[in-house]
Amino acid sequence: MNALSSNKDLQLLNGNHAVAMGVKLANPHFAPLYPITPQTPILEKLIALQSAGELETELLTPESEHSAMASAIAASATGVRVFTATSSQGLLLMHELLHFAAGARTPIVMFNVNRTPASPWGFWPDQIDSLSQRDTGWVQLYSENPQESLDTVIQAFRIAEAAQMPVMVNHDAFYVSHAVEPVEVPAQETVDTFLPAYKAGLHLDPELGRSLGAPIDQKSWNESRQQMAAAMATVGDLTASAGQDWGDLTGRSYGPLEQYRTDGADVVFVTMGSMCGTVREAVDGLRARGIAAGLLKIRLFRPLPQVELRKALADVPCAIVLDRNYSPGVGGVVHQELKAALFDMANAPRLHGLLAGVGGVNVSAEMIERLAVEYRDAVASPDPVWVEE
Amino acid sequence: MREILILGRGGQGAQTAGNQLAQAFFAKGQYVQTFATYGGARRGTPVTSSIRADDQPIRQRNNISCATALLCFDDSLLDQNFLKLANKDTVIVVNSKQPQASFAGLGDYNILAVDGKDIARRNNMGKVVNSALLGALVAAMQNPDIDTMCAVIEQSAPAKKQENVAACREAFQRVTDAEQGNQSNG
Repeated sequence: MNALSSNKDLQLLNGNHAVAMGVKLANPHFAPLYPITPQTPILEKLIALQSAGELETELLTPESEHSAMASAIAASATGVRVFTATSSQGLLLMHELLHFAAGARTPIVMFNVNRTPASPWGFWPDQIDSLSQRDTGWVQLYSENPQESLDTVIQAFRIAEAAQMPVMVNHDAFYVSHAVEPVEVPAQETVDTFLPAYKAGLHLDPELGRSLGAPIDQKSWNESRQQMAAAMATVGDLTASAGQDWGDLTGRSYGPLEQYRTDGADVVFVTMGSMCGTVREAVDGLRARGIAAGLLKIRLFRPLPQVELRKALADVPCAIVLDRNYSPGVGGVVHQELKAALFDMANAPRLHGLLAGVGGVNVSAEMIERLAVEYRDAVASPDPVWVEE
Repeated sequence: MREILILGRGGQGAQTAGNQLAQAFFAKGQYVQTFATYGGARRGTPVTSSIRADDQPIRQRNNISCATALLCFDDSLLDQNFLKLANKDTVIVVNSKQPQASFAGLGDYNILAVDGKDIARRNNMGKVVNSALLGALVAAMQNPDIDTMCAVIEQSAPAKKQENVAACREAFQRVTDAEQGNQSNG
């Protein structure tokens, strides 16, 4: 995009185009795609790459997201690498088949752009679209910025194929999907070293006449869930090793969680996605004022790294969850998950659940600093609190 | 950190201008971030493009609450809702054929009116004003330099490359001359 650059290794790409570049490097065999704001630039970029002869992936543009996921499952079951992308309403239309994909153990990688679901109609960053799919059996990762989105979509194929589970990577509408930033696009050889061609085990093949998903008895269905549980139990370590190996190759390491300036912190913010960047600014601002603040970023949400979360928050006096989502009648989803993860822990922090940025309303670093001052010594309420600028 | 907001109507090129301005800062070795927000991507509805440029990597992902510079593609959009994102030090450039004095009633702001449409028309650009307005904005901000801005426009304009560059340079010159005139008069 920018040949003028003095930063030779960096290109200016928006988050969605960065995802498309990552997909190109991962070289899936098949990608069914249906357009939806604000995901569409992923689809557009992949089609442009294919038109330019730079992408070998077979692209299919079916009549709905439901059909996109149906064809993704079918293709994946034949043992090839599959990618798709969607957002909000599109993800929700797929809901039935998200359960199917996980149950069929098809290691599809899907990119979801987090956007408010209707009604009312909106296009704003909010994570309830994907968080409401948390029980479907998909691994869920959340990305903070365009570079992480590129890096993570490549790692997602390795995690999915090793665990034989589908993986959904998410980034926030506009703040990441449409944010143009300097991004390093790794060399093809680097990605080939990290992610060898997919060799499927048991798969459908017309020569062999197998079937998938046939009616079974209660015990076998029960057993299928126990097998999914065993697969999910491997995902934390797979995410850690993929992030570490990627770091060895590119200098950018990732893990299920990230701790930023949490050493000796009196107050730790816990959040996911684009808001982590703004929290980093706030943490630096608070530290400069003598307030020991830190950030605990949740990158892997499903399976939730409960042991690591308990370890990261042990003996921290106060933790503040910033939820850019709202589950009506309960509160912020991350707050609820964290309360469960920390249950019965003797040295758990006072845990505040703040609904910050729901529907894409602005959350500034100044606001986050103010929240730290306001809540760090306050008694925690079990109920969520709506906060605004 | 420099924080710039561009306000236009869908289809006027505010998002393209934001991307081009970010590319120019990037070409000068700065870290940049630019994003557009829109209510429904319809022609005619207000569109905002946000640009950040800094010597350090840009981490925050939120709206700009007080801009270093504002560029307004349409004077009918320049109201108190937009101006609350500015202060008296903000460089404000508005595309308007109205005289400078007609904006005095908006408050204590540093507003510069530029007739982008006239410059576009004179350079065979029809109603496409984004290159002219970028020339005016970089003149008013005194950053990035006009040659870098024009090189980005020449590289990224889908058509009429020379006309786009000429419009950018003419607007840059008009604003530079006007500001020098103000200084010698003042």
